[in-house]
Amino acid sequence: MAARASTALLGGYAATAAIATLAARLLPGTAVEATAWAMTVSFLLYAAIVLWAFAERRLMRVIATIWLAALVPAGIVAAIGLRP
Amino acid sequence: MTGVQDEVPQGLRKVMAWIHGWLGLLAGWMLFAMFLTGTASYFRPEITQWMQPEMRAAPVPPERSAADAVRYLQTLAGDAAQWAIYLPDTRTAVTRAYVQDAPPPPGSPPKKRRPEIVIDPATGVQTTARDTRGGEQFYRFHFQLQLPHPWGRWLAGLCGMFMLVAIISGVITHKRIFADFFLLRWGKGQRSWLDAHNVSAVLALPYHAMITYTGLITLAALYMPWPARTNFPTPDAYYRAMTGEPPETPATGRAVPLASVSAMVRAAEREWPGGRASRLIVRHPGDAAATVTVVRHAGDGMNARGATITYAGTDGRRLAASAPPGAGVATAGVMLGLHLGSFAGPAMRWLFFLLGLTGTAMVGTGLLLWTAKRRRPGAAPFLGLRLVERLNIAAVAALPAGMAAFLLANRLIPAGQAGRADTEVAAMFWIWGGVAVAGWLRPARRAWAETLALSAVLFAAIPVVNAITTDRGLDRTLFGDGDALFRAFDLAMLAIALLLAFGASRAGRRPVPARAPRRRIERKEPAHAG
Repeated sequence: MAARASTALLGGYAATAAIATLAARLLPGTAVEATAWAMTVSFLLYAAIVLWAFAERRLMRVIATIWLAALVPAGIVAAIGLRP
Repeated sequence: MTGVQDEVPQGLRKVMAWIHGWLGLLAGWMLFAMFLTGTASYFRPEITQWMQPEMRAAPVPPERSAADAVRYLQTLAGDAAQWAIYLPDTRTAVTRAYVQDAPPPPGSPPKKRRPEIVIDPATGVQTTARDTRGGEQFYRFHFQLQLPHPWGRWLAGLCGMFMLVAIISGVITHKRIFADFFLLRWGKGQRSWLDAHNVSAVLALPYHAMITYTGLITLAALYMPWPARTNFPTPDAYYRAMTGEPPETPATGRAVPLASVSAMVRAAEREWPGGRASRLIVRHPGDAAATVTVVRHAGDGMNARGATITYAGTDGRRLAASAPPGAGVATAGVMLGLHLGSFAGPAMRWLFFLLGLTGTAMVGTGLLLWTAKRRRPGAAPFLGLRLVERLNIAAVAALPAGMAAFLLANRLIPAGQAGRADTEVAAMFWIWGGVAVAGWLRPARRAWAETLALSAVLFAAIPVVNAITTDRGLDRTLFGDGDALFRAFDLAMLAIALLLAFGASRAGRRPVPARAPRRRIERKEPAHAG
């Protein structure tokens, strides 16, 4: 239970932050628009991840999916760098 | 422990009910306080006006209050790095200013942050009205929780996130969402609390979802700064891109007097047909690099981030203006406006206030439901149940007493006493805490009734004490023509007192003991099965 809850809370935040950051970096349009959209939608994404973390029975699958969803977008952002 | 499940149950609806119950319990007490003080904040400027009864709103044209404020700040802090001047409007009687001092030379200790400066528009100098936090206290508490920065805001954000997840899981849990809307069965113990929780939740569901989500958006720059970090060199750069303020230029050190801000306010209002200037940001006043940004009133449209125009401080030359916002920035700005209710007229504001009370009721009935569901007739309550029950009393019944004490302290502490604003705040928390602790000494049912009754008495005392200590009591305002604000405020206090007294009288009754029907209901009603 502790593993599930901490994955939902911390892993969920990490995944949300990473996905929102990648979206802000890659979305077309101006930097300010991309940033505003990513920030605005991020809380809905976080809520969805948390609910899924409890709805999915297999704990290992929850842990693996959420942390991969955090690490992969974070890795891509690190690789392509900040918006020039 | 009875009623506590360590593992997540099976089945989507049951899982959602389980999450809903536990998230609601963990964040419920703080959410109740956030909802109640936040609802009061719809009338933030009005509460402040009531808390400074010496001050009477005397409408002054904005360009004059701007010029007066600048003249006063020049004598007080002519060498500051920035002045932020909030002009009075139909709801705020005073001009408020915040001074940001220039960073001290390296090696010397940092200067202390200056407190807010309140200027009386009628006289153009600092007001002599009593020192008070006013409506700002409830407003700040509802997202900072009286904790040091940034911990209060983070905790409020965590509670907001819990709330958002609880709303979504609550909707999934609930299969007969519209049927239950018409169902409220009084006097049936747990069943009634579930009905009350469902009615208050479903009735205003769009509002609850909106206020929770937009609340998170108001502090998105704190909670989710990473998207801005990847696109902008500094958080400030993102803010400037959003508001259209030009980049900061360093002070030159060459003194040039500030041009007329009245002319700038007039020029800005000419550019905004029907619009009002609400705020001035003066950077490097008295320097050759001075700039003045005029910000449009948040109440002029749905988007609470008003348009800006920036002028050169030396000659009033127009330097820059914000472009119309794109869809993303506008969406965030409208969400901010929806949360603050800045666009709302009086009728809309009262509607928001009532919806906020519905939200407070939803959280409160949810907390009560948690205990009602786990109480077994004849059995001694287990430790967790006793603890939750006591914390429910502290949060739901005792907080109103604290809020009333804050308003009463405003009238009872002498107007000229040093540090009185802090004493008012202390009164709020000592009474809240004291009443909560006193409730622990009484049996739970009695504690509910007595605490609610005490809160009712304190609220009823507010108009009485106001009438005794000021010349703006109901005895003069009720049938008088002016002073509508004081009349409405005092009547609202009486209405709140009646509501609390009604709660106290209901809490004092014995519940209908019904064990057999409850089992039947639980089988029929999988909602909130956790």
